[in-house]
Amino acid sequence: MSELEIRNVEKRYGTVTALDGVSFDVERGETVGLIGRNGAGKTTLFKMLVGHATPDAGTVSIAGLSPDAGTALRERVGYLPERAGFPPSFTGREVLDFHARVRGVPADKRDHQVARVLQTVGLADAADRRVGGYSNGMNRRLGLATTLVGDPDVLLLDEPTAALDPAGVADFHEIVEALSRETDVTIVVTSHVLSEIERLCDSVVILDEGGVEVAGDVTELRRRAGDTVSVVATVDGDAAAVAREVSDFAGVTTATAEPPRVRIECDRTAVFDVLADLRDATDVLDVEVTEPGLDAVFRTTVGGGDSR
Amino acid sequence: MTGDATDDRRTSGGGPATDGGGVSNATAPASLQTDDTAGLAAGDTLRATAANTARVAVREYRIAVRRRWALGVAVLFALFSIALVVLGGSDVGPSRVPAVLASFAQLGVYLVPLAALALGFDTIVGADESGSLEMLLALPLSSSAVVVGKYVGRAVALAGGMLAGFAVGGALLVRFAGFGVLGAYAGVVLAAVAAALAFLGLSLLASTLASEKTHALGAALGTWVWFVLVHDLAALGLVATFDLPSWVISVAVLANPADLFRVFVLRGVSTTAGGIAGVITSSALTTPVLLAALAAWIALPVAAAALAFRRRSV
Repeated sequence: MSELEIRNVEKRYGTVTALDGVSFDVERGETVGLIGRNGAGKTTLFKMLVGHATPDAGTVSIAGLSPDAGTALRERVGYLPERAGFPPSFTGREVLDFHARVRGVPADKRDHQVARVLQTVGLADAADRRVGGYSNGMNRRLGLATTLVGDPDVLLLDEPTAALDPAGVADFHEIVEALSRETDVTIVVTSHVLSEIERLCDSVVILDEGGVEVAGDVTELRRRAGDTVSVVATVDGDAAAVAREVSDFAGVTTATAEPPRVRIECDRTAVFDVLADLRDATDVLDVEVTEPGLDAVFRTTVGGGDSR
Repeated sequence: MTGDATDDRRTSGGGPATDGGGVSNATAPASLQTDDTAGLAAGDTLRATAANTARVAVREYRIAVRRRWALGVAVLFALFSIALVVLGGSDVGPSRVPAVLASFAQLGVYLVPLAALALGFDTIVGADESGSLEMLLALPLSSSAVVVGKYVGRAVALAGGMLAGFAVGGALLVRFAGFGVLGAYAGVVLAAVAAALAFLGLSLLASTLASEKTHALGAALGTWVWFVLVHDLAALGLVATFDLPSWVISVAVLANPADLFRVFVLRGVSTTAGGIAGVITSSALTTPVLLAALAAWIALPVAAAALAFRRRSV
């Protein structure tokens, strides 16, 4: 039995259809990205996964429980909402102590568990500072800690890095990657930053207008999105001349000069030959090879929108 | 992970509604549940709800204390009670005590609701706007545990602050009039606290129904204007204009927690109240009825807030 089983789920709010026959499974220990434009149904689905909404039709099973299990469901699920706030007068440790108590962590293990989670999210040194003085990044990490303190089976992260600076994003990614690597917790992440989903997730579900447009392995979906690879090489010479020469190489679709760089579009299978020919033709100072990303998958399936 | 291609092994079905009421696919086989086990499960659920309510209440109380709300209430009611004791009777002695206590009712009817409404108007909507409500709802807490817990936490802070503040005025009154006044004074204070808890419940309800903090503040102010300024005038105007029977006055008193406080206090002191206070004090309501009405004014708004909270979109 999968950790998350979503079968033909429908949900309507008045005349608005939020979810229209959504189905997908997530296996235990998997990290899945849920992406889609605003209004695609991500939030409605998350509400069901934490037991705050129930489907009008179809079934949802989370760690063997249905959304109407209410509090029993939330004992198994850790949820970090997009807008997570804490009492500013509380310290990080006090916030976690409260969450640990409500999540039923035994009294003799509570302090240790709180300390362990603080260590995991990198807040051990700030544990006894008031949350009101925390940065955005520290607040998000504290939010993640609240979801971990009860050792959940499923972790739901709703746009976890929104409004974080690059360093905060990197810190958060490292923590989630470590969780994914070192525990068997099932993680579902929503984000509009597709590179984040590519980095963190094994697989992805693209929702659009209440339905699943595409679902599958991230690497496989990227591969299916296109067979053309971009090569950007910085050359020590006349970039225009190099571009003209490269355009005749086998497998090259286009080659354009952007001095001192040359941008080359070529077949995925020809990329190593093209790089070898390029080195023979000129001195290459550096090179960057880019495969089609999830943005290409997203553009193909949803047709643009606000994810990036 | 598998996507749309997965086969349809389940169909929609009904199930026991808890937080949301919808589809159930993980319940124990009904045939295995006896009345005893069902009773035990219900008892466990109640105990868990009570424990979680207490946890939320403690958290809310700590928030209130750290925001200096309890201290502010204590200072406010200390100044209020000192002012009434000192200024209300320039020569306070046993003979002047009823007049001083009557002043508590006449002026407290403005201050007590205002303090309670100010303390409670952002209980739910404020937490919603700050994002802390969504974090609470991410926990295995029922909606009633969140609402009632928040109310109880703020109620303890409010009541504690009021009791501490009134204690200062009480000490002064004892110094002027002796220990014999303590019983009557305690009655006034407890009635004031009960009225405050009723208005705190009303502000909790306003906070639950409001989508923005400014709306909740407006509703709280409207509540104060209605119950403190308009209600009695409207009721007496109707009685005088249409020559309605006296029981209408009793109904009007029951329909206003501020009046219940005023009647409860003025009944207990041997002084003559004039105007609106005199009319409502003459209502035929007995003390147990007044107490029951006050209890209902505390419980019903909180229960209504708990129900309204389930429909609130967070």
